[in-house]
Amino acid sequence: MKYIPLVWAAIMRKPARAVLTLLSVMIAFTLFGLTIGMNATFDAVQAAAKDNRIYSAPRFAGGMTPLPLAVTHEIGRIPGVSEVGYQNFIPGYITDPKNRVFVQMFGDNARKVFTEYPITPAQWDLLHNERDGVLVSQYQADKWHLKPGDTLTVISPQVKKADGTTTWTFKVLAIVGDIAYNTNGYIWGNYDYFDKAVPLAKQSQIMNMQIETSDASRTADIAQQIDETFANSPNTTQSITEKAALDISNSGVDIATVDREIALAGMFMVLFLTANGIAQAVRERFAEFATLKTIGFSDAGVIGLVFAEAALPCFLGALLGVGLSALLSSQIPHLMPPSMGTPPLPRVTVMVAVWAGACALFVALSSSMLPALRLKQMDIATALSGR
Amino acid sequence: MLRQIWIVSALNFRSLKSRFWQSMVIVVGLGATIGVLLSMMSVTAGMRQAYANSGDPGRAIVVSQGADAEGQSSISRADAPVIMSAPGVARDKDGRPLADRALNMGLPVLRKNGTKGFTTLRGFGPKGTALRPEFHLVSGRMFQFGKRELIVGVGAQATFQHMNIGDKVILPNGEWPIVGSYTTGDILDGQLIGDTETMLTALNRTTYNSILVRLTSPDALSTFRKAITTNPALQMTVTRHSDWYKKVSDQASGLLAVLAYVVGAVMAIGALFGCLNTMYAAVSTRAREIATLRALGYGALPVAVSVILEAIVLAVAGALIGAAIAWALNDGHQAVWGQNIFHLRVSPAEIGLGVSWAVVVALMGGLLPSIRAARRPVVEALRAT
Repeated sequence: MKYIPLVWAAIMRKPARAVLTLLSVMIAFTLFGLTIGMNATFDAVQAAAKDNRIYSAPRFAGGMTPLPLAVTHEIGRIPGVSEVGYQNFIPGYITDPKNRVFVQMFGDNARKVFTEYPITPAQWDLLHNERDGVLVSQYQADKWHLKPGDTLTVISPQVKKADGTTTWTFKVLAIVGDIAYNTNGYIWGNYDYFDKAVPLAKQSQIMNMQIETSDASRTADIAQQIDETFANSPNTTQSITEKAALDISNSGVDIATVDREIALAGMFMVLFLTANGIAQAVRERFAEFATLKTIGFSDAGVIGLVFAEAALPCFLGALLGVGLSALLSSQIPHLMPPSMGTPPLPRVTVMVAVWAGACALFVALSSSMLPALRLKQMDIATALSGR
Repeated sequence: MLRQIWIVSALNFRSLKSRFWQSMVIVVGLGATIGVLLSMMSVTAGMRQAYANSGDPGRAIVVSQGADAEGQSSISRADAPVIMSAPGVARDKDGRPLADRALNMGLPVLRKNGTKGFTTLRGFGPKGTALRPEFHLVSGRMFQFGKRELIVGVGAQATFQHMNIGDKVILPNGEWPIVGSYTTGDILDGQLIGDTETMLTALNRTTYNSILVRLTSPDALSTFRKAITTNPALQMTVTRHSDWYKKVSDQASGLLAVLAYVVGAVMAIGALFGCLNTMYAAVSTRAREIATLRALGYGALPVAVSVILEAIVLAVAGALIGAAIAWALNDGHQAVWGQNIFHLRVSPAEIGLGVSWAVVVALMGGLLPSIRAARRPVVEALRAT
């Protein structure tokens, strides 16, 4: 306990230096929280992925090239496939082309495929019974100010109705919960309604499928089998397991590594700054440390003092910085224009905080090591004489 | 005055050695900042460069109204000849218009690291190569019109599996052999090319994606645009090819550029605090030296300027080291971003930007300490220990 006033007095000897060091450390840890937090999000997304789900789409998408609905029956016959969900969609906007919305029209068995979505059986029944109804997730409902019973009018130049119009009118049936990693929310409608409304030539067509397998360990093989089944047909498919689809390294750039490198660069900067600051402080007060040793402070005590002086800005800066990064990432959705979706946000998890603490400890330890060694080896008489 | 600044600054730099580690805080701080900034920017810069190489101001591209990308556009068989023979379009030696109906589709590929991705499969018409003097065959031969054959860009060959001559690419209703490889030195290097009409038939499609024309001269754009947009039968947008690719690359890399600037700015703020710290420490350790100079008759301004100058020199040194590291790690490396394949770039323009960031940080970080140095009473400072 007697050390605390000593450490505090030492730091406050140069208040400007203390504050600047703290701010610098804080900024580096803010960046640390954002980048490593981003990686935590990628990991969580990957971990939450269902291991028995496959996404299948037309192999040659190139825009709006659908598959015939009959493909779902054929895939359903592949051994190991337990359910084949399917959808078509209506990309469009509300009143102004800037207000983009995306209405997904699902087949009836979607309730069996999307079991993790917070939708009650009663709400699924609503969607089944009211053909022109939609379920709107909380995020989308807030964005467009929708409540149950409202009418949602979507204009879609790409998807024309049989009568040639491009205006799709839906009834909002219920507001349903969002799902953690679907950061833009969702609007789900009824495929049958869609299918009856489009021109004859466009009927019984789907844009993609969500396939569930009964054996998780064979999911990847089944995905490949689906593609092989249709390889030499007009309806070639491109299938990917949910695990692979949600793996960030699949995007072509290993963003997780980039994040770690940025965090590392920040830590390197902090290490240099702290090490230099503490070395200078010890150099300036060399005689004082000699006095402390003279009046009976042990080597360990003096070294502890130096370490504490280095550790305080590190840990305080880490705490403030990680806190700031958590605050920032919670504010990002409010800073984005409504026409853009919400990007995946960094999540400052306990693990991120633990890593930040470990980094702070490493910086504090390694920056106080050399000065501490010097103090341990000091010749008290020489130091006191100021030579 | 200038002479005084010179003398005081020279004195500063001679004493730098005794403040070596302290000064390294600025060098390392800005080295890390600029290194990260330029590494992140190498992606946007590389992509922009690849697209800039593609866009020839002497060419114009026609897409259907409202389309932001070639993939979103469709041009009917009936409209195509009208567009291609419009005034303002140059003619080839054979008297035909130098214009090409292009097709553009996503092609699923397997990357060399085993992950799945997409690239662009492009359709060329008979004038496709004549329109693009930058196009050169590297090996094998050109695909034959009317045959189910493809040629592959050198960038795609380096990035994806199964892209050698003789390999087969699965397309709807059949496998198409690769018969040659090409380079254009631009974004097309990461793509594959086949015959537009044969591809249309195979894909069961009836519309083209875009039409590329060679203008009679770069100034002929307005003539051409007027001919297209005043024709009530056509709903098309005409864009100069270089402007079009600028727009496309900005869309593809815009978010990334914002991210690079945000991360760079956050790091620069951290480096700024480090810089302030170092310069305050520097003026305080040199208090007596500075006071002596002032007592000898040197003005306050030269002292202040010399402090800022020191900060700038250290910061620029750090920025150059950071830039050198970013250059060594990234420049020229093949990169993939979405469907784009290109070479990362740390060019003199980006390095210049990094150095100017460093100068700004140093100016801000040196200003307050320099004022303190200049304003400290001489007598008091001379007594300082």
